[in-house]
Amino acid sequence: MYRSAISRLRALKGCAGNLGTTRYATSSAVASRPSSPGFFSWLTGEQASSFPPLEVPLSGVALPPSLPDYVQPGKIKSKVLENGLMIVSEASSNPAASVGLYLDCGSVYETPISCGATHLLERMAFKSTRNRSHLRIVREVEAIGGNVAASASREQMGYTFDALKTYTPEMIELLIDCVRNPVFLDWEVNEELKKVKDEIAELSKNPEGLLLEAIHSAGFHGPLANPLLAPESSLDRLNGDILEEFVAKHYTAPRMVLAASGIEFEELISVAEPLLSDLPRVPRTDDPKSLYVGGDYRKQAASQLAHVALAFEASGGWHKEKDAIVLTVLQMLLGGGGSFSAGGPGKGMHSRLYLRVLSKYPELQSFSAFNSIFNKTGLFGIYASCGPNFVHKAVDVAVAELIAIATPGKVTQEQLNRAKESTKSAVLFNLESRMIVAEDIGRQFLTYGERKPVEHFLKVVDEITLDDITSIGCSLLRSPLTMASYGDVLNVPSYESVSSKFERIGK
Amino acid sequence: MAWKRLLTLTRRSHRPLSTTASRSFSDAAVSTSSPIAPPTPPPPTAMIYDRLAESVKSKIKILENPDPRFLKYGSPHPTLKTHTHILSSPETRITTLPNGLRVATESNLASKTATVGVWIDAGSRFESDETNGTAHFLEHMIFKGTEKRSVKELEEEIENMGGHLNAYTSREQTTYYAKVMDKDVNKALDILADILQNSTFDEERMSRERDVITMEMKEVEGQTEEVIFDHLHATAFQYSPLARTILGPAKNIETISRDDIRNYIQTHYTAPRMVIVASGAVKHDEFVGEVKKLFTKLSSDPTTASQLVAKDPAYFTGSEVRIIDDDIPLAQFAVAFQGASWTDPDSIALMVMQAMLGSWNKSAGGGKHMGSELVQRVAINEIAESMMAFNTNYKDTGLFGVYAVAKPDSLDDLAWAIMHETSKLCYRVSEADVTRACNQLKSSLLLHIDGTSPVAEDIGRQLLTYGRRIPFAELFARIDAVGASTIKRVANRFIHDQDIAIAAMGPIRGLPDYNWFRRRTYLNRY
Repeated sequence: MYRSAISRLRALKGCAGNLGTTRYATSSAVASRPSSPGFFSWLTGEQASSFPPLEVPLSGVALPPSLPDYVQPGKIKSKVLENGLMIVSEASSNPAASVGLYLDCGSVYETPISCGATHLLERMAFKSTRNRSHLRIVREVEAIGGNVAASASREQMGYTFDALKTYTPEMIELLIDCVRNPVFLDWEVNEELKKVKDEIAELSKNPEGLLLEAIHSAGFHGPLANPLLAPESSLDRLNGDILEEFVAKHYTAPRMVLAASGIEFEELISVAEPLLSDLPRVPRTDDPKSLYVGGDYRKQAASQLAHVALAFEASGGWHKEKDAIVLTVLQMLLGGGGSFSAGGPGKGMHSRLYLRVLSKYPELQSFSAFNSIFNKTGLFGIYASCGPNFVHKAVDVAVAELIAIATPGKVTQEQLNRAKESTKSAVLFNLESRMIVAEDIGRQFLTYGERKPVEHFLKVVDEITLDDITSIGCSLLRSPLTMASYGDVLNVPSYESVSSKFERIGK
Repeated sequence: MAWKRLLTLTRRSHRPLSTTASRSFSDAAVSTSSPIAPPTPPPPTAMIYDRLAESVKSKIKILENPDPRFLKYGSPHPTLKTHTHILSSPETRITTLPNGLRVATESNLASKTATVGVWIDAGSRFESDETNGTAHFLEHMIFKGTEKRSVKELEEEIENMGGHLNAYTSREQTTYYAKVMDKDVNKALDILADILQNSTFDEERMSRERDVITMEMKEVEGQTEEVIFDHLHATAFQYSPLARTILGPAKNIETISRDDIRNYIQTHYTAPRMVIVASGAVKHDEFVGEVKKLFTKLSSDPTTASQLVAKDPAYFTGSEVRIIDDDIPLAQFAVAFQGASWTDPDSIALMVMQAMLGSWNKSAGGGKHMGSELVQRVAINEIAESMMAFNTNYKDTGLFGVYAVAKPDSLDDLAWAIMHETSKLCYRVSEADVTRACNQLKSSLLLHIDGTSPVAEDIGRQLLTYGRRIPFAELFARIDAVGASTIKRVANRFIHDQDIAIAAMGPIRGLPDYNWFRRRTYLNRY
């Protein structure tokens, strides 16, 4: 087998030779690999290296011409196929390319039968398809040295492939095959189920993630309350057939976006369209509707700490775009984090929660604002962890901080400006990365059907005033409270007592 | 539970198989009616396991007809392809100022952000036993106020422009860099110049920072991987400068004084040993002008780091350190050979060898199918929790080896797999494996350059280690020239019958002894 692998490689190399050696080597001058080592080569090895040390330039390398300092940024081009599938691309001069297939699908579409399917699908990504075995997929990705990844959230799923631009057709083909034609072989599913089980067991070590899950299941009624991480009880029930049914129902053309960064649009279309255009045109199903109700979740666990999260509904979600952006700024404004963290200035040490809370109460382990925004609704709140004796005070402080942002005059213009600058720079820093650009294109097209230019975002951020912050604060506090706690929860105040503190506000 | 699963399986298989079942039933009915029928074989669905097999078979049937539409481009067999046409990038411009300070930029004026940083050819290896930890202490103190700015002013200035200021110290390099929006590049450079030249190192601040560093130390002690590599350096380079840790021993953190820090800056933060790098929204000439204006107080002492290294070189000693602790669940160890220095032409082949050995952990998507034979052995036999080949370069030496985490009962198998696959690189190397590793190495080097900060980091590190920035086309050409025979030659140089250093921690009573490892750096049968 070992030998046949070599001979096959030689055959490939041979046929390349006919096309001219330059095609298969970065530089014809230096790519002269010592050909066919002699029979005793293992004894003597190759002759000593003929290459100069690395500080000396190698002669005979064909260097590509340098780019000018200003390269016109690529335009976004998109096309909607007849079956409703969208293909989008932004070209760039970057030698690497990133392509992703994004789907309007996630745990909100799960039924009691398919509960946990999203999580399992994320783990089953890039496994055997009708055309490729898992082994072949792994080896194809390795042969070009790319990275594949899958991610699942409540409302969207993404499959991504990141590799050198030279391999564009290979990337697109493999990515589409893996999403369109998975077969979910029993033994592969069972192996992944075992890993999911281990992953869930690990979750108790991550109380912040656990609380975020709990906040959703307690706060919402309907699909958004579905757990994102497969619950223990679903693991014995889930199997390949359930996944197959779920995929057949939800991975439909109008709910897919193929987004790329660094790939010429024409090339993307020429490879992707024949592989995607035969997907049937299925009318979109209605978005599942969730209702925010608020609620309480608490779980006693063997822990030295108490973890508490308070949250409110940010109604409107991504579709109320301005509010979503204000919420992002608000999160920066509150900031917060761990009591001990590494890194230099610029990580939010002058955000409100750091200045007003963490530097005042050394008892707190961490104290931070979080948001979780969906298409039509969202959550905003504060997460705290501390020793069990301090938790009463910690909840009071969190309540006071939330009330403060809804009270006019409590937030200063200086703090707001700082938060606005931090939000803008955080977004711009993220968009430096081609992987994040591809993801951003895909997710925006799924949500809005277009990509809003970043200038638009910067402009909206610039226009935010103190009144915007206060009014969004009020509208948050008008919704019922959601509260979740984990760990040593004996001293956590009752839901009613916390909820009553917000009663006078904003109503 | 298994029983329940069987039940659900049979129930599931019932639907598609019902037609065949009914047909065999009618067959049976016919056969009973004829008086002298030969005994028929039982129907294929008579037994529960037959039915299971049938359902699996029917499922696998869909794999039999792959659609050629989806198999047009991809191939699992690695080939070398030319990448020259995609490798164009903006020019890296380098200007050397009269005092020896180098300024390097890569402009991308379409970008709205920039990274500005200072890369310094100094780190913990240039300390002494008494001052070990100074470089790292300095990294902490440098953000604690200057003659012009107090800590608060410094932090607020950075946060008000939405920037990030960060620093890290390694054994040979120290870096300070700022990530900012395009309009704030000059402000960021001003801050960097200020903290590097005018820091006050307030005594009171220093005593407060001692606690922070002690806390950081505790945190690092919790990260076993870092601890293992510290021990590995301590034993492999014993009695030479690379043995020292970056954080320094606890007693030094209490005693390092303001004078130590000033002294360290004076001797090591000299203009010829520094590179100011900017990438993103910057113009080279303007930037050089700003640097000239701001970096005026640096010493221009011409001593280079290489001269210091030559005076006090690192020596590799075959040795081991074992810390037995049976109370923790997992054992970890690292086995290392002496590797190549930064500029050694064979360091490229070592990088390819590192890719050939690969890395793996339990949740890796590739699982048992990855190309590396070491990964296959580890994953299929389930003898480790995770493993990773490493290749570290220094100015005059390096470390090449494998780090692994495993349950105590599989340590001997794991040790054998690691040593077998590593020493096999001297004797039996397939051209396909080398090509695959070359492709992976090229991709990972290039895919890593994703944003202005990695670009600046790449320029700064390469200028300090190679004295120039190697164009990707040249780097790729050097990688493409590595073939199976090169690997064998380089493996013979670094692995075959060479001394090794081992660091191990945890329940490691099952780990073979040093001589066992040393014996397995070569095979006797050749």
